[in-house]
Amino acid sequence: MSDSNRAAGDMVPGDGRWWRIGRVAGAALLIVVLLALPLYLPGEWLKVGTWMMTGAVGALGLTLLTGQAGQLSLAHGFFLLVGAVSYAVLSGPAGDPTYIGFGLPPVVGLLGAVLISGLAGAAFAPVSGRLRGIYLGVASLALVFLGFWLGRALPAVAGSTSSGRLPQPFSIFGLSVDVSRQLSSLSVFGVPLGRDERTWYLYLLLTAIAYLLAQGAVSGRPGRAWRAVRDNETAATVLGVSVVRVKAGVFAISSAYAGLAGVMTAWWTGIMKPDESEVAGSYGVTVSIAFLAMIVVGGLGSLPGAVLGAALVFGLPVALPLLTQSASADIGSGTAFSPIVITNFAYGALIVLIILFEPSGMAGLGRRLLGPARART
Amino acid sequence: MSGQTTGRTPGRRDVRPLRVSEVTVRFGGLVAVNRVSFTVEPGSIHALIGPNGAGKSTCFNAISGVCRISSGRITLGDVDLGRTPPHRIAALGVGRAFQNLALSPTSTVFDNVMLGRHALTGGGFLGHGLRAPWLRRAARRHADRVAEICDFLGVARYLHTPAGVLPYGDQKRVDIARALAVEPTLLMLDEPAAGMNASETAEMAALIQDVRDELGVSVLFVEHDMGLVMGIADRVTVLDFGRLIADDVPSVVQRAPEVIAAYLGVDDGQGQPAVKTRAGGGFPGTGGGNGDPATSPRPGRDGRAEPDSREAMG
Ligand SMILES: Nc1ncnc2c1ncn2[C@@H]1O[C@H](COP(=O)(O)OP(=O)(O)OP(=O)(O)O)[C@@H](O)[C@H]1O
Ligand SMILES: [Mg+2]
Repeated sequence: MSDSNRAAGDMVPGDGRWWRIGRVAGAALLIVVLLALPLYLPGEWLKVGTWMMTGAVGALGLTLLTGQAGQLSLAHGFFLLVGAVSYAVLSGPAGDPTYIGFGLPPVVGLLGAVLISGLAGAAFAPVSGRLRGIYLGVASLALVFLGFWLGRALPAVAGSTSSGRLPQPFSIFGLSVDVSRQLSSLSVFGVPLGRDERTWYLYLLLTAIAYLLAQGAVSGRPGRAWRAVRDNETAATVLGVSVVRVKAGVFAISSAYAGLAGVMTAWWTGIMKPDESEVAGSYGVTVSIAFLAMIVVGGLGSLPGAVLGAALVFGLPVALPLLTQSASADIGSGTAFSPIVITNFAYGALIVLIILFEPSGMAGLGRRLLGPARART
Repeated sequence: MSGQTTGRTPGRRDVRPLRVSEVTVRFGGLVAVNRVSFTVEPGSIHALIGPNGAGKSTCFNAISGVCRISSGRITLGDVDLGRTPPHRIAALGVGRAFQNLALSPTSTVFDNVMLGRHALTGGGFLGHGLRAPWLRRAARRHADRVAEICDFLGVARYLHTPAGVLPYGDQKRVDIARALAVEPTLLMLDEPAAGMNASETAEMAALIQDVRDELGVSVLFVEHDMGLVMGIADRVTVLDFGRLIADDVPSVVQRAPEVIAAYLGVDDGQGQPAVKTRAGGGFPGTGGGNGDPATSPRPGRDGRAEPDSREAMG
């Protein structure tokens, strides 16, 4: 990425006491709101939320790679596919005649899928360690096409294009996806937790883990190494950073994040099947670009920015139909302006505006607005 | 983790000699460093000087492993640096500040200097992501040491400021702080006083001497400011067109005809070079563009962009 991109997320320890108190209070409020939302929101809106969180996990991984370590990747869609397929295969029923499955517990399947995606990213190290900038972007794009081709060539693994295979239901601590098979009944404040509520909490848990891991790494030794490699490889080397290892490592981490997002995608769509075309679908080029859009909109390298960017880019297309439905039923039907098209326009325009006026994205905007508060003591 | 993981100021370190022997560095057809040999004795302040493009920074790059040597040998104690992976050289006790600012402009001064502790600290993505208590304890110790070093360099008040917004001179100091954060036994400084005024240059001279006296480390530095060089160096190595033309104590080097010739472009037989200021990278009164046929074709010898030209200390 060019030097003019003031990468966000380079930790600036807060100066003011009020700033620190405000931050803690803000985080607490956010947690309370996120925990309480399922008690008020209808199921279809919870699905919007879980889709946003799916995007957030992927965007967090990409902002580490592109924003923090300065490596462009268009392969995110591919690693989503690797994660989704790995989960389906690892946790799929063992005796299935059509689909290969290992019959492992879903939790093992989830961890295995994240691990396999990370290893797939590490296997790309000979390329990712050597190329940079747009060259790496184009080289990584090849993976998306490879994934598309493999997915169609191996229906016993990735599911057939027509019907697809079902990802196994998953449950941990009572949080779950797919409650069609009635798990133990849970209720919060007398509100029974249904399928969408449990999924919300599960996704929230996964997103929080992904966020906190990234935050710890960014503010610590790994993050400093990433930014050093991004800003000056020679200086990084002289100061003891193995540039090749750091690049391979961050690519693997980013891929593991994408893998988790892939599993979340398969759960969310409820089906594992390869895309219909290279460009559209759940794991294609468009998705890779959507993730790039999220981190640019949010501010390269910024973790809150990545989450906000994901909420916008993944949230709008699923939220708009709900909004238009409730407003008037006939908008959108029969016209070219489907919610997807509108969102594509919206975030396309947003990216242009951001590059023109606020290169550090929403994170930069936030810093500008909160800057005075931070400086005060 | 190596032995120097504590936040405490290390006492005398195990300082070993740096031996550069018969080192040649080629860039395609260009021989940037040509069979150069010199030794930086433990605890000495050693200057590497020469006109622009003489190969000083290339020498530094060879020592710190970021550019391959075509032939020759560079050893620190009995470790062959040429056979050491470049990123392992810092852990051997080599700290280096750069000629051109090589800081992360958007990262804070603290973050930049803390990078110097990379080889002294441990833990990867999961350890730091999970906020392992032992890593956090170690990080706090190292943070204290970083604050101490920044204080020593006079940049402590900028600890939480992005490095990119600091004035040039302060960025140079942050770079030096980062090199010191490596806890080096050999500190390499490429033009530490570039862009500093006379009083700042004097401070830098005192600082280099303090580092040597307090830590007992060797300092190898490149500098165009002859006042600074002759004032603090125990030994001076002079390069010209990649070749070594002098290697001796300052008083001898100052009078060596080859050195005077290299700086003046011709051997005019003057035995009394004034060593007060630099103009165009040479001794005073020898602006690079003096139309001398011997100087004009030399690459990078004149028109060198300096942040400011100044009077140097005597
Ligand atoms: N990476 C490189 N590739 C090709 N040529 C190079 C490279 N680095 C340096 N050179 C060339 O090697 C020669 C020596 O350069 P070097 O930077 O070592 O000079 P220097 O003595 O540090 O000069 P200055 O006082 O201007 O910093 C110059 O002619 C330069 O153009
Ligand atoms: Mg130089």
